[in-house]
Amino acid sequence: MNYAMALDYQNCINCKACEVACKEENGVQLGADKQRIWVGVVEGTIFGKPFANLYPAQCNHCIDAPCVSVCPTFASHFAEGGIVKVDAHKCILCKGCMEACPYDARFVDDTMVAVDKCTFCDHRSLEEGGTTACQTTCPTKVRLFGDLDDENSDLVKLLKTKRFFFQKEYTGTLPKLFYILPDDEAYAKQSVSHNTIIHTWADIKPLYDEARTRRSKEWKK
Amino acid sequence: MKVEISRRRFLQGSVALSVAGGAALSSTQILADSKEKSQTLLMKKVPTICEMCVNKCAAIATVKNGIVTKLDPNPYFPKSRNMLCARGAAGIHALYDPDRLKYPLIRTGERGDGQYRRATWDEAYEFIKDKMVKILDEEKDNRSCIGYCAGEGLAEHTYKTFMSDKFGSSNFLNHSTICLQTAVSGYTLTIGGYGQADLENAKYVIMAGANRAEAILTPDTMDMFKRTRGRGMKLVVVDPRFTNTAMHADTYVAIKPGTDLAFVLALTYVAILDQVYNRNYVAKNFVDFDKYQKHILENEYTPEWAEKITGVPAATICKIAHDFMAAAPQAVFYQGRRTTWSKNDFQLRRAMALFTALGGGIDVKGGIVFGKKLPLGEHTATAPMYANAKPRIDKNVAAVVGATGSWVGWRNMVAEGKTPYPIRGMFVYKQNPMLSVPNSAKTKLMFEKMDLVVVIDTMPSDTAMYADVILPECTYLEREDPVQSFAGIEPAIILREKVIEPMYETKPVNDIMRELAQKLTKPLWEITKKYDEDIQAELEDGDEKEVFEEGGFDLAEPFMHSQEETNKHMFVEKYGEEAWLTLREKGVFYPNMSTYFKKIDNNTYQYYPKDKKFYSVLKLEEEFDATAYLHDTCVNPVDIADLKRSFNTPNKKVECYLGSMASKGIDAMPTWKDEDHVKVPAGKFKFITGRHAQFTQNSTQNNIILLELMRENYIWINDKEAEKLGIKFGDTVEVASSIGKVLIKAYPTPKIIPEAVFYIHGFGAKSAGMTFAHRNGASDNEIIEDTIEPVHGCANMHDTLVSLRRV
Ligand code: SF4
Ligand code: SF4
Ligand code: SF4
Ligand code: SF4
Repeated sequence: MNYAMALDYQNCINCKACEVACKEENGVQLGADKQRIWVGVVEGTIFGKPFANLYPAQCNHCIDAPCVSVCPTFASHFAEGGIVKVDAHKCILCKGCMEACPYDARFVDDTMVAVDKCTFCDHRSLEEGGTTACQTTCPTKVRLFGDLDDENSDLVKLLKTKRFFFQKEYTGTLPKLFYILPDDEAYAKQSVSHNTIIHTWADIKPLYDEARTRRSKEWKK
Repeated sequence: MKVEISRRRFLQGSVALSVAGGAALSSTQILADSKEKSQTLLMKKVPTICEMCVNKCAAIATVKNGIVTKLDPNPYFPKSRNMLCARGAAGIHALYDPDRLKYPLIRTGERGDGQYRRATWDEAYEFIKDKMVKILDEEKDNRSCIGYCAGEGLAEHTYKTFMSDKFGSSNFLNHSTICLQTAVSGYTLTIGGYGQADLENAKYVIMAGANRAEAILTPDTMDMFKRTRGRGMKLVVVDPRFTNTAMHADTYVAIKPGTDLAFVLALTYVAILDQVYNRNYVAKNFVDFDKYQKHILENEYTPEWAEKITGVPAATICKIAHDFMAAAPQAVFYQGRRTTWSKNDFQLRRAMALFTALGGGIDVKGGIVFGKKLPLGEHTATAPMYANAKPRIDKNVAAVVGATGSWVGWRNMVAEGKTPYPIRGMFVYKQNPMLSVPNSAKTKLMFEKMDLVVVIDTMPSDTAMYADVILPECTYLEREDPVQSFAGIEPAIILREKVIEPMYETKPVNDIMRELAQKLTKPLWEITKKYDEDIQAELEDGDEKEVFEEGGFDLAEPFMHSQEETNKHMFVEKYGEEAWLTLREKGVFYPNMSTYFKKIDNNTYQYYPKDKKFYSVLKLEEEFDATAYLHDTCVNPVDIADLKRSFNTPNKKVECYLGSMASKGIDAMPTWKDEDHVKVPAGKFKFITGRHAQFTQNSTQNNIILLELMRENYIWINDKEAEKLGIKFGDTVEVASSIGKVLIKAYPTPKIIPEAVFYIHGFGAKSAGMTFAHRNGASDNEIIEDTIEPVHGCANMHDTLVSLRRV
């Protein structure tokens, strides 16, 4: 098992259903700055005409997660299927992981006195037919959670037919949120920058497989 | 370690939800605490229907040991397509809102100052009864001297049954004239129904003013955004604001508010002049097209003419008209909902309907479709006749005032003391006119003139603060509501089941109506006997008990059964016991669901097989009988031009010319009237309002989770205009119209045209009972002028001029 998520980000309408569902599902601390999930908004004008792009996001559950490497107490760890989690009881709030995370996916949960972050809803998504709270609630069905190891999963089937990119790929953490590039060339161009690397399943698979083999020894069963 | 709060303390009330040590807690958080423990707790899943807005999405509530811990989408309902939006997911906080109305309240202070004392239900009913008896005695049994209003909802009808059918008042108001009445009627009178845009199949869609990304409408929102951006649906968004919907458009057209009619007339001009409309279809299905064609051409509604009015380049108009007709009949000028914008709104909707019809996109896959509705059994009640009950007061404020009145027209008559007979009291159910009707000052004045104001609600809204008696309704998660059938391409029946027992002393409206009716029946019967000459005549040679019973004067009679019993009766009559069990188990039912419904993947479900959907229904209309659906009657999409349809209009055709309207002084055909258009002088802005995806009007304003997504509203002002006025982001500005002033923070942005300013509706509550909503931002209706359009008396929401000043 190697859990990951594909995001058809061009469907996103910034409705924030995912954020609310996540908070309710996981008892995330209240507060506008306490988020396991968010929507990145890039907006501006081109020749006076407004434009905007939305990038729904959460923890990337990176294969080479720097937050895990940096944690002095092993509170941050890989759970089953490479899901990056925090063991609240071990966390000493040194915030090293928050510094290390390139995606700003972590925050302090004051009620737990520990760092909190997305868990890929592993309490509900790993069972047969299960999925994450953010995926199921989304009106336009942006997300698809699945197993990269399973060639027959809906996720891998989708990745095989699409091109995709990662956010901040240059940080080299091997993130597992796959942003599905629009098929339409004009729209594809509009939503990525000129130096974004576009991938296909064939080109990315060996790299991710190698990393998985290397790191999965650390994964909890 | 999480802050431990025992379940007992939690249940005791709202304390656990309030802010503790700077960190507020959510109910789910408290439960997430004891994950291991909770698994041993009693857990159940109950299908229910969301009531956070009007869409009625199907949901599944998880209940752990009596506490609702999560709301998830229920995949079975074709209309809601396995989703819950932010508000739907936040429904738990409507249930556990610490500010909820918990028991009946009777006013002790002045109207509006929020001083109330706790009362028992019986005391509250007694109070209402005494006032009603006095008022009706003084008004000689004119039942209409008590007005009543209601917000939309599954139980709205229960309340109406009492107030209208049983109690007998004709003065009803609902949201339609501050919402979509002109749109519904414009489409209905033109093509026979408002219909539903088939956004799963449309190839070209023009959305003017409608904002499906932020004003979520099911299934439209879910269907369209999977098909925009080069995936089958070309989208043109016409709006003074660059909305989240515009973000998905192939073409975004910035337009001046109030000029959409000129835009549509010019599109029509191009289609007719260039003969790109579907001539075959028009010949078969239109009536009076020659008149319309002549009207459009002779008035010279050219793109160049429209450019001057709308600000939309003529070339853009030409291109849109041609592209639209090239994609027709899979092309829709989207009907839109929400509100009436300006005086010409009815004509605008007519012109939109006619434009879609010119392409043939009515009653066809990918166009505007009517769908089918699954029948339900009847629940009948006998409505007494009251000889002295007068007709509604506002019949003459507009050409056609229907049974739902004209909110602004009615309110103004009462506030200005211009009613033909006194309006002495008002019942308000699930509506908040203080925030939702333009010109709040006049609404306040209206309430102040009344001898009895009763509010039935879940929250101490601004309107509740004007009540003499407040009756606490339970929330949607604490009651079963009337079973409902939803028409559509994929019709279904849904049931809102009670998830947990009502908290505090709250009750469902069915119970409130029953108990109030039981209290009122006898004393009001005495008054009827005293003043009603018809009844007196009947009593002369009849037995009182008989006259009373047969006349339906037992006001409680329709509410005697529990909602569960009534629902079962209405459903089983048509579909049988087995289907009833399915409905209760799944929350959704439609014939053949067990074979039609299929999971495709974790995101997608099939509700009806492709060939079983109800795209085209008109031709079958005459042969339709109640049992037809049982035999999977369906129509394959047909080539539209080959089919002559029988529309649900007087001429059975698409109506270009409404002679009946002409006799009432309304234009028989959509006509641009320059004198009706509010122009923007230098130094002023046109104020526009709207919705967004995190709040439903003002009804969710105290929801703590939703408030995290948007704490307050900001006024959008074009960045260049803001610069001229020295206004920067976050500055407090005073916005003044002819009727009021508000203070609000500024959001300068290039996403709005220079001559308009905008802020979202639903903020600015003044009720101190709403701890979290209180004083967040500004209420639009404090500055929107109370003018109405001439057809139905709908509020013109976008005809107000304002000036801005940094303070
Ligand atoms: S729920 Fe879906 S559409 Fe809404 S903000 Fe989240 S990802 Fe975007
Ligand atoms: S804050 Fe907690 S989880 Fe993060 S590195 Fe420090 S101990 Fe580890
Ligand atoms: S997967 Fe679960 S925890 Fe992660 S963002 Fe989505 S809802 Fe939140
Ligand atoms: S759209 Fe949202 S608030 Fe409205 S019924 Fe559906 S889930 Fe509830």
